[in-house]
Amino acid sequence: MSAPLYSLRGVVVGYGEPATANAVLHVPELSIERGSILGLVGHNGSGKSTLLKLLGFLLAPSAGELSFDGRVVDAAGYRAGHLLRRRAVLLGQDTCLLKRSVAANVAFGLKLRGQPVSQAALAEALGLVGLDFVEFGPRSWRELSGGEARRVALAARLALTPEALLLDEPTTGLDRASVGFVQQAVLAARESRGTTLVIASHDVDWLKSCADRVLLMDEGRITGEILGEL
Amino acid sequence: MDYFSEGLSQAVALLLSLDAETFSAVGATASVTALALFASLLLGLPLGFALGHFRFPGRRAARLFVDWMLSLPTVVIGLIVYALLTARGPLGEWGLLFTVPGMALGLTLLGLPIIVSMTATAVESTDTRLTETLLSLGADRWQLLLATLVEARFAMALAAATAFGRIVSEVGIAMMVGGNIKWQTRTITTAIALETGKGEFATGIALGFVLMVVALVVNLLVALLRGRSNGRQGGAQPGGVRP
Repeated sequence: MSAPLYSLRGVVVGYGEPATANAVLHVPELSIERGSILGLVGHNGSGKSTLLKLLGFLLAPSAGELSFDGRVVDAAGYRAGHLLRRRAVLLGQDTCLLKRSVAANVAFGLKLRGQPVSQAALAEALGLVGLDFVEFGPRSWRELSGGEARRVALAARLALTPEALLLDEPTTGLDRASVGFVQQAVLAARESRGTTLVIASHDVDWLKSCADRVLLMDEGRITGEILGEL
Repeated sequence: MDYFSEGLSQAVALLLSLDAETFSAVGATASVTALALFASLLLGLPLGFALGHFRFPGRRAARLFVDWMLSLPTVVIGLIVYALLTARGPLGEWGLLFTVPGMALGLTLLGLPIIVSMTATAVESTDTRLTETLLSLGADRWQLLLATLVEARFAMALAAATAFGRIVSEVGIAMMVGGNIKWQTRTITTAIALETGKGEFATGIALGFVLMVVALVVNLLVALLRGRSNGRQGGAQPGGVRP
């Protein structure tokens, strides 16, 4: 059995000195298996977004140990954080589109990595979220509805085929059809690419329909696991 | 009014006859402006980005300094640069006094604060979510800088046009550091001052006419860019909200 993609031990994220006294996240132990889909539910301010930013290497732990792909991420790892962020990609609540066309937005991350950009790859990524490349590719970012923009942002991350995809409230503000496309994309990413997904959402029912495990968070701590029917 | 109309007709004749002295001044202006603008952009864009993007001790003081530089009289800048470049000055051995590169150095000090200040403001006003978006897509530090500047491209172009307008129309620094040497460092503005002093209004008005056309083009460009920039304010589009 391979090592988990993420392993957290005694991880604390806090502010001020000492950080542990002002912790906004405290995770004594957590493992996230490769190719799994982990759901996070909890009230606003329960620590879901902080945990996702930690897993997306936008935050470093104030204390404790975070391992990724079997290696402890040390200070040097965080200094070259973009290398980790290219493997674990976050779609945050506040993620925005760039002032470019849809195609340019989807291609942007590939260009950052120096990877070739093919029309087929862009079409595939957009197709995963139910958007037609011919129709949407040339459109400006200004011509999209909120739901379409959200799906384009997801497509831009799917195009990168990351090892881990971290989604913060990916279905908020979306209509039923768009939620269906997001779910289809999430499952396709796992099935066809082996992507590990961590998804935070208030929509417990939707989360249970696609996640292997759903953890409950409250006041910066994992307080339990939701099992079976509610 | 005859005075002006005669001057204007002489000016047109001077320009149509491709007067060498007039076009020498135009050439010197183009060279010195291009050099100064290039240096201002090269230094000003990263400095402005740093000032607008990073939070560091002394940031407010740095911002205050840049804003103070914006309001510094050009003759004072000219005096400082002259003192630096004069034979007894710390940079005297470079031999830049009364040369086009020397003038460009002085005019860079004029353009640089404009680029830094306007870039910092543009970066500050870009959506704070942009940084997180770029980082989460895997941008390294340089890619973050470049992509942020590209996102603020209309404001950047506005800064460049503003600095260009200021540099091309400057007279104090050009006069003091350049020395107004015929065929070499005589620019449009210094030539206008000289010719007017000599009572050669035709030449002065001809050169003023060229400068006014340049100023008109720059102002049209600025208006166009400002319109486009205002039309695209608000940084990048939030993922879940229609603009």
